[in-house]
Amino acid sequence: MSAAPGSDVADEVEPLFALVRERYGDRLTAAQLDEVRKGVEGVVLAARALRAVRLETSDEPFPPFIPHRGPS
Amino acid sequence: MSESPVFLPVRRLAELVRARTISPVALAETFLDRLERLGPTYNCVVTITRERAMTEARRAEHEIAGGRYRGPLHGIPYGAKDLLATAGGIPTTWGAAPLREQRFAFDATVIRKLEEAGAVLCAKLAMVELAGGMGYRQPHASFTGPGINPWNPDAWSGGSSSGSGSAVAAGLVPFAIGSETWGSILSPAGYCGIAGLRPSYGRVSRHGAMALCWTLDKLGPLGLTAEDCGLVLEAIAGEDPADPSTSERPWRFDAADVTGRRFRFGVMKGVTAGCDDAVVAAFARSLETLRGIGSVEEVELPDLPWEAITRTILHVEAASAFEDFIAAGTLAELTAPEDHWSVYARDAILAKDYVKALRLRGVMAREADRLLSRFDALVGPGHATVAPGLEQEFRSAIRGSAPDLMGAIGNGAGLPAICVPNGFGDRGLPTSLQFMGRVYEENSVLAAARAWQSLTSWHLRHPGSSAAATG
Repeated sequence: MSAAPGSDVADEVEPLFALVRERYGDRLTAAQLDEVRKGVEGVVLAARALRAVRLETSDEPFPPFIPHRGPS
Repeated sequence: MSESPVFLPVRRLAELVRARTISPVALAETFLDRLERLGPTYNCVVTITRERAMTEARRAEHEIAGGRYRGPLHGIPYGAKDLLATAGGIPTTWGAAPLREQRFAFDATVIRKLEEAGAVLCAKLAMVELAGGMGYRQPHASFTGPGINPWNPDAWSGGSSSGSGSAVAAGLVPFAIGSETWGSILSPAGYCGIAGLRPSYGRVSRHGAMALCWTLDKLGPLGLTAEDCGLVLEAIAGEDPADPSTSERPWRFDAADVTGRRFRFGVMKGVTAGCDDAVVAAFARSLETLRGIGSVEEVELPDLPWEAITRTILHVEAASAFEDFIAAGTLAELTAPEDHWSVYARDAILAKDYVKALRLRGVMAREADRLLSRFDALVGPGHATVAPGLEQEFRSAIRGSAPDLMGAIGNGAGLPAICVPNGFGDRGLPTSLQFMGRVYEENSVLAAARAWQSLTSWHLRHPGSSAAATG
C-alpha cells in the first residue's frame, strides 16, 4: 500500500526517496524505483512507530558502550 | 552392521562408532555418496569436501581404534553452511554468484572446534545469497538454485540456511551448522521438519563466519532431534578471543533424563495471529500435550514496536556490512532480481531513528528477561505457515509483510530458541513448534523440546516414509 500523495507520510517519504534516487537512480528502472519508493515508505512507517515511544534520557543505546584498553 | 546409519540421530551413531560397530570411514563414505547422488535433487550442496572428509574420517578411525575417543561427535559426518570459512582451498561462497571463487586461508572457529571434537566435514551447504540480507522475497535467491524441500519437491526448504535444513531432513548428513540473524535457523528447521537450535547471542564464536549484522548474527546446529542439537552445541560453544561478542560463561549440555519433569510454559497473547489454519490447529494440539508435562499461561508484553526495533537494526547493520559491495554495484550480479535494489531504501533510515531502535532494544531485553524469568520457555508456532511454493513470494517479518513477535524479540534480545516438528499441514509439509528461553538458558529450551519429543513421534518421520504424513 502506497502513502497517498500529499499525506503526512508521503511528505516525509518524498525527500528521503529523492536522496535514494539521487544516489542509485542511474542503476534502476522505473519499476525498480517504484519498488524502492515502497521500501522507503516502510522505513518511514517503522521510524514513526519507534518515534511514538517515549523514553527517558537515561535509556541509553543497548548494548552500552564499553571503552577499550589494550593488554599493556 | 545391519542398522542403516541414515536417519539415525547423532547419539545413536556415536554409540555405534564408539563400539566400533561402524567405522568413521564407512560412515563418511555413506554420507558422501548420498551428498553426491541426492544433493543436486535438493540444491543443497555447494561443495563436497571429500578429500578433507576422508582425511578426518581416517584420523578418527585410527584414534578410536587406539583407544582415544574424543566424544559423541567423533567420526560423525556433518555439513556447514557455506558462510563459514574453510582452509585448504575449499570455496566459501556466501551463496552469492560473484563470490563463487572466494577462498580463505583459515577455518572458522566453529569448523575448528568441530574438528577438535572429531567431527567429519563432508560438505559446504547451500544458502540464500548473503544470508538473505539484501531483501530477497522468493526462493530463487542463490546461485545454487532454490532450496528444495525433501517433503515436497515443489516447496522451498526455507532460508537462509536452506541446504542445512534440507540436507539433514533428507538424510544427507546427520547434522549441520546454520546461522540466524532473524529466522535463518528456525525457518529451514521448521519447514523441513527437523530440529534447529538458535543459541543465545555470544554463545558461539562467529569468527570466520560472514558478517551480516554484528549484533544479531548467531551460529547454531540443525539435527534430527533436540538432543542432537545439544550435543553439537556443546562442541561449538565457548569464549573465543577472536570474537569479542562471545560469552565467558562456559556451557555444557545437560542431557539428564527429563521424564517426570514439570515445566512452566508461557504463550504470548496473539502469537498465532496471521498463522495458517493448519499451523494454528497443530499449535493448539501441542499445547494440550504440553499441559500434560507442565503449566501453560498466557502472557502479554507491553505494546511496543518490537518488529520495527529489530528490523531497523538489521537493515542498518546489513547495509553497513555490505557497504562496499553495494557501492561497487556488485548487487547486480546476485541471483534474485529484488536483491539488486531492495537494500537501497535503507539509506533512508535516519541516524536518530536507528539510535532510538538501539535504545528501545534495551527495553526489549529487560522486558523479555523479566517475562522469561518466570518460565522455562515461551512456546509458539515455529513459523506462521508451512513452506511456501518454489514460485511463491513469501511473507517475511524482516520485510514487514508478516508478524513474527517471537522472532523479533528472540533475535533482538539475543535469546535461545529451538524449533521442532509438531505435525503436518497443507501439501504434506511439516508444521513446527518453537521453545524460546531466557538468555544463556539453552538447557531449559532443550529440556522442554526433549520432553516434547519424548511424548511425540513427529521427529521419527522422514521424507519418503509411508507413515510420514499421518498421525
